[in-house]
Amino acid sequence: MEGVIQTIVYGIVVGALYGLIALGLGLLMGIMKFLNIAHGTFIMLGGYVSFWLFTLWGIDPYLSIPLVIVAMFLIGLLLYKLTLSPLLKLPHIGMRISNSLLITFGVIYVLDNAMTLVWKADVRTVIASYRGEALNLFGVRVPYTGLAGLGIAVLAAIALYFILSRTYFGKHVRAATQDAEAASLCGVNVQQTYLISCGIATALAGIAGVVIVSSYSVMPTGGLSWLLMGIVVMVLAGEGNINAILPAGIILGLVESLSVFVVPIQYRQAIALLIFIIVLMFRPQGLFTKRG
Amino acid sequence: MSTITANWKKLLPSGIVVAACIILPMVMEIGTHILSLMVMLFIYIILSQSWSLIGGYTGQINLGLAAFFGCGVLVTHFIWSIGVPIYLAVAIGGISAMFLAAVIGLPTLRLKGVYFAIGTLALAEVCRIVVGNTFTRMVQMPIYYVVNYNLISRYYLGLVVALIAVGVVYLVTNSKLGLAMAAVRDDEEAGQVTGVNTFKYKVLALLISAFLAGLGGGVYAFFQLTFQFVSSVFSPLWTFQPLMAVMIGGVGTLAGPIIGSVFLVILSEVFAITLGEAHLILFGILFILVVLFFPYGLVGSEHKVRQWMARVRRSRLWKAI
Amino acid sequence: MLEISHVNVYYGDLQALWDVSLTIGDGEIVTLVGSNGAGKSTILKTISGLLKPKTGSISFEGICLDKLPAHRIAGLGISMVPEGRRLFPQMSVLENLEMGASIRVARKVKHNTIGWIYELFPILMQRAKQEAGTLSGGEQQMLAVGRALMSQPRLLMIDEMSLGLSPLLVQEISRVIKDINKSRKITIFLVEQDVNIALSMADRGYIVENGRIQSQGTARALLDSERIKEAYLGISPVGKGS
Repeated sequence: MEGVIQTIVYGIVVGALYGLIALGLGLLMGIMKFLNIAHGTFIMLGGYVSFWLFTLWGIDPYLSIPLVIVAMFLIGLLLYKLTLSPLLKLPHIGMRISNSLLITFGVIYVLDNAMTLVWKADVRTVIASYRGEALNLFGVRVPYTGLAGLGIAVLAAIALYFILSRTYFGKHVRAATQDAEAASLCGVNVQQTYLISCGIATALAGIAGVVIVSSYSVMPTGGLSWLLMGIVVMVLAGEGNINAILPAGIILGLVESLSVFVVPIQYRQAIALLIFIIVLMFRPQGLFTKRG
Repeated sequence: MSTITANWKKLLPSGIVVAACIILPMVMEIGTHILSLMVMLFIYIILSQSWSLIGGYTGQINLGLAAFFGCGVLVTHFIWSIGVPIYLAVAIGGISAMFLAAVIGLPTLRLKGVYFAIGTLALAEVCRIVVGNTFTRMVQMPIYYVVNYNLISRYYLGLVVALIAVGVVYLVTNSKLGLAMAAVRDDEEAGQVTGVNTFKYKVLALLISAFLAGLGGGVYAFFQLTFQFVSSVFSPLWTFQPLMAVMIGGVGTLAGPIIGSVFLVILSEVFAITLGEAHLILFGILFILVVLFFPYGLVGSEHKVRQWMARVRRSRLWKAI
Repeated sequence: MLEISHVNVYYGDLQALWDVSLTIGDGEIVTLVGSNGAGKSTILKTISGLLKPKTGSISFEGICLDKLPAHRIAGLGISMVPEGRRLFPQMSVLENLEMGASIRVARKVKHNTIGWIYELFPILMQRAKQEAGTLSGGEQQMLAVGRALMSQPRLLMIDEMSLGLSPLLVQEISRVIKDINKSRKITIFLVEQDVNIALSMADRGYIVENGRIQSQGTARALLDSERIKEAYLGISPVGKGS
């Protein structure tokens, strides 16, 4: 019985991380209909920033989060200005999605190789003093890093919810999502809204990177597998349904970790993906949205 | 055949190039490096034509091409190693990829648009994980094959299969099948209304595309005898690079994937030689620039280039020169 | 107040407006009439900044609008009720109104303005928390007008006010518009397919046909003109040119 609870706890922790990854992806996809597959690369980049802050100046990864947020936010602005804003001129949505796919793939190419060049292809990780230590709750081990990751994911989701529903900026984002032209008629600077959203999405990627570098590890090409799980969560949550992302992530994490009772552990990601595909066949709009 | 004879003037340049590809290695000494490059070029042409069929002509963005490629590689490798002649082994590799497509295709083709893309990506990843965990050690051909390795035969196999791939795509797109596929791409709902069985044509396109990708995998298995990490042939790169080639060259054209592949292979090689370590980075930047300025691909943007040239000629600067 | 001068507008390579010139004076109600596809909406979209003229210029109270993006034009005091209303369907009535007050100066007095809108259209107050997409056609039109008024505009442009509305509702909304024109001195520029309604509300009008201004005059003069009687009156609104 303890084994089951342990597995469930693990699933929630991993799932929260998947959700955190999907938050940035979902924001960009929902607002601008951009699929940013370079999101995984930015996660690694965030992890690297935190890694170097720790290695060179001994800054604890979780304390480095504000710095990572700032750095990644600025990088996100650059990304938007340089590569994504020209896409808004394209005639229809299908081309936007496919060209954003291509451009962000190019960005992966550039950044992954730049990181490999500068920081070598080695796997990096942050071993803080509390790594490997765990909280013992009723016979269940909850690693401190896992707990921190869960906490951060929840905080990020709440912060995003707050921004989107309570601030002017958030309302502009929602309006621009529903009707960008009408929003600009109301006086909303839609381009600037997109720009800032890109910054936020990239900052979220950076935060995920910090959690990953302190709980797992990073390497220049490691972004793709995390990205895939992020995409899965985003689809499960339903398009534009940001509030459903964290719950969807946790569900995915639970499915993945509980599958160890059915298949050998190395296949658990495969099982999660297979189940995702089955869900997609019957509920392409995601688990949380109504059809249509 | 009548269209070929009618358009012979247009086809002449391509004919010359193909003839050169066939004859030159027989009469000249071509270095192993260039020969290897050409083999990879042929493989990219095969893969990009394969992707173009399902992605460009039928409009279904398939992000799981690597699964069909990898399947072809594995099956060909093992069939060949038990003594089956290579041409037959490659063909069987292609057919096995078709079977995989039938399995993958039936569930995923019911998905629309971007969901199909994500679904195929996920399924290819499943394949990669399963294969990676099944073949944990290095895989290589028996010593006999290694010792008797002849690069020229790889070159010609690649050339033949590439010509087959281009030929198949040409035949399909100019047939009734091709019309139906275009109907599926342009408006899936409208196609259904006019009585076109969109599902059937999507499946057909996927099967043919998978067959070609499997053939490409077979060529690669013939070319590369050793695989340290078998799962590498299922890597998403084998999907994205042909996709890049098609997008750069121009979607929905026959020449597009070819030009894009040439661009991809030759340019990355040029960069590797001249720029060393940083070449991939610059290649990526160049790729981004191409997508930004030629959103319809190089071939598709021909009219844009002409417009621009016309403007340049009319400008005062040009007249001043 | 607003001056459009020899403006040519294109949709891509397709020309939609040819050498269009018109003026709107302070406090007037001016209308644009013409059949479907004549270019009326195009003119409004160009003024509001959603489209840019290839040649020609537009100036509002001396400020040149040619290069300004739509959101800056909204900030200058020009507000538009777009064709088809273009509400934010998943936002509530209240949130839609708040969006209308996105420009800085309007934000500060937001609450007062909302109160005023509720006076004009009481039904909106009842439906304040409801999602805009669930409102009836008439209520949506009222919300659209209300949203446009939230920015305290000096020029209000309305594109196809009567489309899909019952005659009673059309009368109601026309009354409100004439009222705010008088009481708040808001200049109105109205695009309307139904010539009767248009000319009954307006002081002056322009007739647009095939992307060009055909004629102009006071509402009275236009109503009396033979041309109008022939072309537009006596033909059902659904009939011509669709």
